[in-house]
Amino acid sequence: MTRREYILAQRARHGRRALAVLPVAYPRELPTALDLLAVELWGPPGPPRSDAAGRIQAYVCPVVRNALAFLAAGGADAVDGALFPHTCDSLQQLATLAADLGGWSRPALVFQHPRGPGRASTRAFLDGELRALAAGLERLAGRALEPERLAWAIDLHEEIDGLRAALLDLGPRSGLGERARYALLRRGEWLWPEEHLAELRAALAARPPAPEAPRGVPLLVTGYVPEPMALLDVLESAGARVAADDWAAVGRRVARTRTEGEPWARLLARHEALPPCPTRAADQAGRVRHLEGLLDRSGARGVLVHTVKFCEPELFDVPAIRAAFAARGVPVLHLETELEVEPPAQAVTRVEAFVELLSSGRAA
Amino acid sequence: MLRRARYELAGRAVSPFLSRLEGWRRRLRPRPGRSGRGGASPFGPPLEAARKLKELMTAHYFQGRFAEGAVPVAWVTSGFPVELLRPLGYHTLYPENHAALCGVRRLVPALSDAAEHEGYARDLCSYARTDLGSLLTGETPAGRLPRPDLLACCTNICQTVLYWYRALAARLGVPLVLVDTPYVYGEAPPHHAAYVRAQLEEAVAVAERVARRRLDPAALRETVRLARDGSRLWGECLETATARPAPWTGFDGFFHIAPIVTLRGTEACNAYYRLLRDELRERVRRGVGGLREERHRLLWDNLPIWFAVREVSSLLAARGFNFVCTSYTNAWAEAGSRVDPDDPLGSVGLAYTHVILNQDLPHRLDTLRRLARSYGVDGAVLHSDRSCKPYSIGQVDLKERLARELGLRVLLLEADHDDPRAWSSEQADTRLTAFMEAFA
Amino acid sequence: MSAAALGVDAGSTTCKAVAVDGAGRVLARRVEPASPRVEEQVERLVAALRAEAGAGPEVPLGATGYGRKRIRAGRTLTEITCHARGAFSLARRPGLLVDVGGQDTKIIRVGPSGEVLDFAMNDKCAAGTGRFLEVILGRLQIPMGEVAAHAAGPAAPVPVSSTCTVFAESEVISLVANGAPLEGIVKGLHRALASRVAALARGASAGGLDVLMSGGVALNGAMVEALREALGRPVAVVPEPQLVGALGAALSVLPGAPAA
Repeated sequence: MTRREYILAQRARHGRRALAVLPVAYPRELPTALDLLAVELWGPPGPPRSDAAGRIQAYVCPVVRNALAFLAAGGADAVDGALFPHTCDSLQQLATLAADLGGWSRPALVFQHPRGPGRASTRAFLDGELRALAAGLERLAGRALEPERLAWAIDLHEEIDGLRAALLDLGPRSGLGERARYALLRRGEWLWPEEHLAELRAALAARPPAPEAPRGVPLLVTGYVPEPMALLDVLESAGARVAADDWAAVGRRVARTRTEGEPWARLLARHEALPPCPTRAADQAGRVRHLEGLLDRSGARGVLVHTVKFCEPELFDVPAIRAAFAARGVPVLHLETELEVEPPAQAVTRVEAFVELLSSGRAA
Repeated sequence: MLRRARYELAGRAVSPFLSRLEGWRRRLRPRPGRSGRGGASPFGPPLEAARKLKELMTAHYFQGRFAEGAVPVAWVTSGFPVELLRPLGYHTLYPENHAALCGVRRLVPALSDAAEHEGYARDLCSYARTDLGSLLTGETPAGRLPRPDLLACCTNICQTVLYWYRALAARLGVPLVLVDTPYVYGEAPPHHAAYVRAQLEEAVAVAERVARRRLDPAALRETVRLARDGSRLWGECLETATARPAPWTGFDGFFHIAPIVTLRGTEACNAYYRLLRDELRERVRRGVGGLREERHRLLWDNLPIWFAVREVSSLLAARGFNFVCTSYTNAWAEAGSRVDPDDPLGSVGLAYTHVILNQDLPHRLDTLRRLARSYGVDGAVLHSDRSCKPYSIGQVDLKERLARELGLRVLLLEADHDDPRAWSSEQADTRLTAFMEAFA
Repeated sequence: MSAAALGVDAGSTTCKAVAVDGAGRVLARRVEPASPRVEEQVERLVAALRAEAGAGPEVPLGATGYGRKRIRAGRTLTEITCHARGAFSLARRPGLLVDVGGQDTKIIRVGPSGEVLDFAMNDKCAAGTGRFLEVILGRLQIPMGEVAAHAAGPAAPVPVSSTCTVFAESEVISLVANGAPLEGIVKGLHRALASRVAALARGASAGGLDVLMSGGVALNGAMVEALREALGRPVAVVPEPQLVGALGAALSVLPGAPAA
């Protein structure tokens, strides 16, 4: 079933409306509480689907160019509205370009998470944004947000995050190959959350009871999105595995926390518990410390920094990441993707050479 | 005490002399540039005020050499509400302005190389690479830059400044005050204004702590008044270009903008613009143009191409084309003129949130349309600046709409504001010349 | 002759193969422009080497290069690892290996046992590779063999942009049309390529390392000189610079070769 068919089936069977969501961070609990299906748009990968991409210069990241092309070509016509989180300058511009000058004619909502260190002003603003977004989503969903539904949605997403974290931490002990494990995790980008939860539960229940010790060189991966997905196959056949995940699309959105109390307070707490991301924080040292923690806890021996071409927030942190890990004698590979469908030969060579370097065990 | 005295003295006594010295040196240095036809310059007489501008800016940078340890020093983004810092006695440095200076002097490739060696990708904003390169190498055409006690960042011009200033904060180990101005899609809802206001108060608290001084409300009001007046004066200077012929070129404006960006809220800035305005008005009265023969009037959008200002300006002037208005220079006339001494924090929050780069594309289009109409332009050049995403994304559509709705000829010119490695003289020449030929 | 191993480097521009003895000395070699039919070409070259070096089917084959996965070999490794091993066996010391090939450029920091400590490769862009020179010198109708002669005289280098091969090509045409001396242009081109390579080298290196150069472009003396100038350090060219990858591949299948 294609995503489009799935969205239509959700509407036909459950009366659910749908919302296209651009990257990265947004309060997923809100659409869920309103019975709105959130369908994330990470690309799509491959060449742009229409020449609307030409409305954005070639020196802008492919996430944004591909998204505009896709939206303008009617790729998201099965949904009822689109949500544009204010992630970066390019996505900021995409929102106004598509919604105001052409390419997206349905309702468009924005969500502006606060930036910088946590201050009193930060919390108040986040609360205001969450409520404003909720109001916008209510209009889209055609119903009011009930507090019990919000509490239920938060519980649901907390449970999902818990299982996602478990699946991430298991690695190859999950019994799934790297690619299958990530395919499962990424279905969370568009499945109705209860269905995603069911799949996660089933996968974890089916894991081998006495798994072998994981083979392959353990890596810490940080970056934007695991595209091309075939890169995971490359890692596996090169003899490596993802031991710690800080991809913005995956590990960096797993809030490893249990909250309680009043739902709006829980929403705030969940957002604040998200791992550090350059699109939200003002503390570079904090991010680097977080990555070092991930490395230490996972036993990873090398760091793969996997950015999308032209991605400023990620690229500005690369020198600090390199310096921190160089000081610890941990090799770093920086790989850029242009959201291709298949990894180019150069990328494959780099990854393989990196794994060879790490496997020789004498890298300084 | 002594350091403070030296700092004050540097500004007043020594630097005017130094700037004159620099002027003589430059006259003696052979100047690069295109050889024109014949040898007669297409430009009108140079502005007298330019000499004063040189003195003012040289004084400021010279004074900066004595700032460390004498007064608190802040490095500030161009869109930061500096009105909050001035009354606390901060010496302010604008890394963007410094990077522009490096661009004009063609120092960016070497500085960027140093930043790239450190691991900063060449795809990042050339201002940031220049600044980081300067920090890493200690190289600067401005003698010596004072290290900051405070970094002041406002995201109203872009998010990149935040990533850049985070990196600076980590390297320099100094506090970073952030004013995060949410982007205005349509209209800013009340909780956005409350957020900005609250951040201004938080910023003041940090700035006070670092300066070891309380912000005096009367001094704040006065600074806000000066900033408002300065912006209005700058606006009056720009408006003189509605005359035919325009008394100066748009590219002159790129240089004369320095005081309103870097010295906003000071007497010196306003005194300068009064001088400039009066000279420009006089030229309008006498019919003296920025070009000897103004045949076509153009609008420029986006940042200047700092390392090619003379080149582009000469190429256009030779055929009688003048940039009579630019969205860039206009931005500083608009924003600052909305601040209100009777409601400093509130008005400052509002004004700085509504700068052109922090508002949606329909607003940008309106601004460009308005400028095109009031200045009576026949065409426009939109500089597609690879370093500046918020300014550049949307230009393809803006180009089409300006052409369709106003019947303008519009050129989208790919370049970069500071890095000449993203520029091909040959290609640019061809495009600009073809553009001009279409007017015939 | 007692060949102990064979190595092939199926690059995108040229295909190289060597036979080595137990001590890693090259006994026989082949270099040809790369054919799109990699398997056929490699089979033919390997058969010819086996014949020349008296190496029977029991003598193992190591493979590297762009087309390595289509070769039936005892061992397949990336050209980064193979170049490091090959260069180390020739130079016998750690250092910074700069390999400028026809279509890509690699900078490899080689450790005290010939292992890879760090590496960098050029981005998807021909401007930092041999293709830059090939295209432009081709337009100027200067055969590669005559390049050094064209760069030999006293004329000052004419600055040429190094950002993009196509930009640079149009710039060069303009320069020639405006009467700039050919010698100056040729020097300028070499400088431009050297500056790109040097910038890439700075990304992977620690200062003070010996610099070794390999790859087809190392056969161009003017390029070696330009790189020396750009790096500000002596640059030594490994003997038979094109064969370094194939040599490394062969060494990898010698008995006792390191794992990974």
